[in-house]
Amino acid sequence: MRQLLELALGKGGDYADLYFEQSLFHDIILRDGKVNAAGTNSEGGLGIRVVKGQNTGYAYTESSLASDREKAAKTAAFIADGMSPATAPVALNTLKLPDRYTILKPWDNISPQEKMPYLYQLNDLIFSADKRVKKVTARLADSTSRIEYYNSLGVHCTDTRPLASLSVSCIMEENGRRETASASRSFRMGAEFLQPDLIRELAEEVVARTAFLFGAMQPQGGEIPVVMSSGSSGIFLHEAIGHAFEADFIRKNTSIFSDKMGKRICRTGITIVDDGTIPGNRGALNVDDEGVPGQKTYMVTDGILTSFLHDRISASYFNVSPTGNGRRESFRYMPQPRMRATYMENGTDSAESLIASVKKGLYVDSFSNGQVQIGAGDFTFFVKSGYLIENGKLTQPVKDTNIIGNGPRALGMITGVGNDYRMDNGTWTCGKEQSCEVSCGMPSVLVSSLTVGGRL
Amino acid sequence: MNEKERIEQTCVYALETALKKGADQARVSAVRDVSDSLSVRNDSLEKIQFAVESSLMIQLFTKGRYGSCSTNRTDPAEIDKLIEQTLASVRLLAPDPCRMLVPASLRYNGPPSRMAHDQEIDTNTKKSLLFDCTAAVYGKEPSLISVTADYVDYRRHILITDSSGLNCSSEETWYSLSAECAVKGGGDTRPSDWEYSAGFFPDAVGIGSGNSSDCARRALKRALAKRNPCKVNSGKYPAIVENRVASTLLGPVIQAISGSSLHQEDSFLLGMLGQIVASQLLTLIDDPLSKGEPGYRLFDPEGMATARRTVIEKGRLNTYFLNTYYANKLEMKPTISSPSLLTLPGGKGNAVSLAGSLKNGIFVTGFNGGNCNPATGDFSYGIEGFLVENGQITKPVNEMVMTGNMLDLWQKLLATGDDALKTTAWQIPSLLFDKLEFAGL
Repeated sequence: MRQLLELALGKGGDYADLYFEQSLFHDIILRDGKVNAAGTNSEGGLGIRVVKGQNTGYAYTESSLASDREKAAKTAAFIADGMSPATAPVALNTLKLPDRYTILKPWDNISPQEKMPYLYQLNDLIFSADKRVKKVTARLADSTSRIEYYNSLGVHCTDTRPLASLSVSCIMEENGRRETASASRSFRMGAEFLQPDLIRELAEEVVARTAFLFGAMQPQGGEIPVVMSSGSSGIFLHEAIGHAFEADFIRKNTSIFSDKMGKRICRTGITIVDDGTIPGNRGALNVDDEGVPGQKTYMVTDGILTSFLHDRISASYFNVSPTGNGRRESFRYMPQPRMRATYMENGTDSAESLIASVKKGLYVDSFSNGQVQIGAGDFTFFVKSGYLIENGKLTQPVKDTNIIGNGPRALGMITGVGNDYRMDNGTWTCGKEQSCEVSCGMPSVLVSSLTVGGRL
Repeated sequence: MNEKERIEQTCVYALETALKKGADQARVSAVRDVSDSLSVRNDSLEKIQFAVESSLMIQLFTKGRYGSCSTNRTDPAEIDKLIEQTLASVRLLAPDPCRMLVPASLRYNGPPSRMAHDQEIDTNTKKSLLFDCTAAVYGKEPSLISVTADYVDYRRHILITDSSGLNCSSEETWYSLSAECAVKGGGDTRPSDWEYSAGFFPDAVGIGSGNSSDCARRALKRALAKRNPCKVNSGKYPAIVENRVASTLLGPVIQAISGSSLHQEDSFLLGMLGQIVASQLLTLIDDPLSKGEPGYRLFDPEGMATARRTVIEKGRLNTYFLNTYYANKLEMKPTISSPSLLTLPGGKGNAVSLAGSLKNGIFVTGFNGGNCNPATGDFSYGIEGFLVENGQITKPVNEMVMTGNMLDLWQKLLATGDDALKTTAWQIPSLLFDKLEFAGL
């Protein structure tokens, strides 16, 4: 490893790292009442990164031949100009890391035969719950990634990362009209993930969500107060502020929050966290993908912007400690600042009081996707279901509407925070050039004005 | 041994091993990519990345059952182990008689496909291209915060074989150049925009033609135009959707006529084959054999031969996209797994000329999130763009939402342009729609 690091620094790079990965993925799929497809993917490789100032050279190889790895190191080295003396890597020190995803039953030892009954049970529960069910598709996916990391600062670590996900979608038909909804759960854990309670919970959720849609309609559009329910409304934080706090955008001065460090960005009592330390959470990390231990980062503390989300490059640029947010999809990608589990801590209001305070508005409780424009600050998230609020009461069910707002303005318009914080454990995946597993959570929150898409 | 021979040898080994270890039939697909990417931010080389990667996908059919495995390790020991494990799993599954190889009559039997540049581009040429691109704007506009130019090229070999004698291969190169500019806007805002060019050959990005710098200039012009946007009153407005984002509105239509959606009955176009689903101004062609255009391909991932087909003709839905599996499920004939090169012929003009016909309206230049319910076609998308006032494109607008239903939307198509961009596989021109619902103030 030392030789590879020396080669990588051979042109005068400031820093180099080696990221070895070996991953095994499995999935089985239930369709038309049968588990009739299975897949396995095995892949591995080495990513070599060289950093010079803010600039990065990267190469990866899937080969385990020394000659191919040396070639990759020399290729990455070219980001440096060769004019300054090479920095010698220091002696390696292996990090002692916590275990935030203990594997009780390794996935490698579980055959499809042991997994299949759970999908059949899920299918049966859904069909027996509602006569309108026409189709069910379910997918159980598991993976185990083994990471070994070295860098020229002397950091060495290993991490074994399990991930289990179960997703189900349901189609119902009523009087010739069809509706579809889905539900999912995902955790960093072994096959102990598979529990009868999980199956029952998912079946009930997907049936309830789909049935709900028959009575729902797209709401009237316009600017109105929005109460976001606890749990999956955390997508609001992910889109409205999380991405704009990723410090590669701050370093390049392209985020709308670039000049806001230390300033008040929302009312007192609001604290927003990005956390890699929640045991078993989809966004949990013992260590990030550049050898920085997983940690909990307070982005907003009592309304004040207190930290951006850093990788090693941005942390070095701002002369702060990295926050453990340097993540990558696989060895094929260079790391960059990414979120983990992003959530708001509890406030003092009850959800009922937030709803009761709204004369005419919208209550939203399930979502599918979101997006943000980092510099302009405009964010959106798509609402799968919710209710109109009329005179402080939930009334007409609503569905399929996009909500749009501006991050800093929307934060400033949070006028109530509930005391019912909940983490959402769905299969949230963030796509910022690369895919990363994340999660989000929130107590109920009232935003005094957002633009809701809808019919006129 | 060259790359093509190495891939062929791997496929032959995997296919023989699959059959030897108990598969009744098998299909093997191998891909090998050599890619290079560089980025310049402002006046500095920010990123370089080089990669050589392989992938092998083995699909196994045994006793009416189906499973697949894939790996990027192509040594025989890895292939042996993976096939053994997968076959052991597949034998436990429920049978699915709809899984089968592509019928011989639909198989691609032609010569290898090649759409590739012969020479490699040297690194200094790529760097010069990027530095020229950013230099066209960097330091020349006081509002500019950052300009980033990205270059990517790759050479890709694909080989698909199966146990019934399918053997199709392709080699292609691809070159792309993009530029993104962020500028100082009102308050704390930093609006940004991008431009992109790409094609099978290096002249598509200006190598050899010397016009790469246009990319950053156009990105800067677009970013500057977005400063100080406003939100207008909620209401029904005629809308022009710009060529480079118009395919967003076509996406749900294509999804709705794909085999997986139809089979799941998760489609607002279920049972509508042969029926009018859009304005008679909408004719949509899938033209995979248009040589040299993005999207050009002779076979799909199953090895099925592609063909030109009219997807929608004067508003009438003519075809579904069905691979072998979903065609069997739906008891229909296979067509092709997905569209290749979509065109929308018959239009005239561009967004500016379409705007000229409007007293007022909204010119949509970007979608910001949103989604479409696949079962009902109800959609809701965030938008940005410009107001159209008295035939002129005027003030920027943002933070608005466009909502409706896909079937209703495409019935409201009033005019199409002939300004489709030739840099993407879905070449959709600017589109003019009658009054759509926009939520704003």
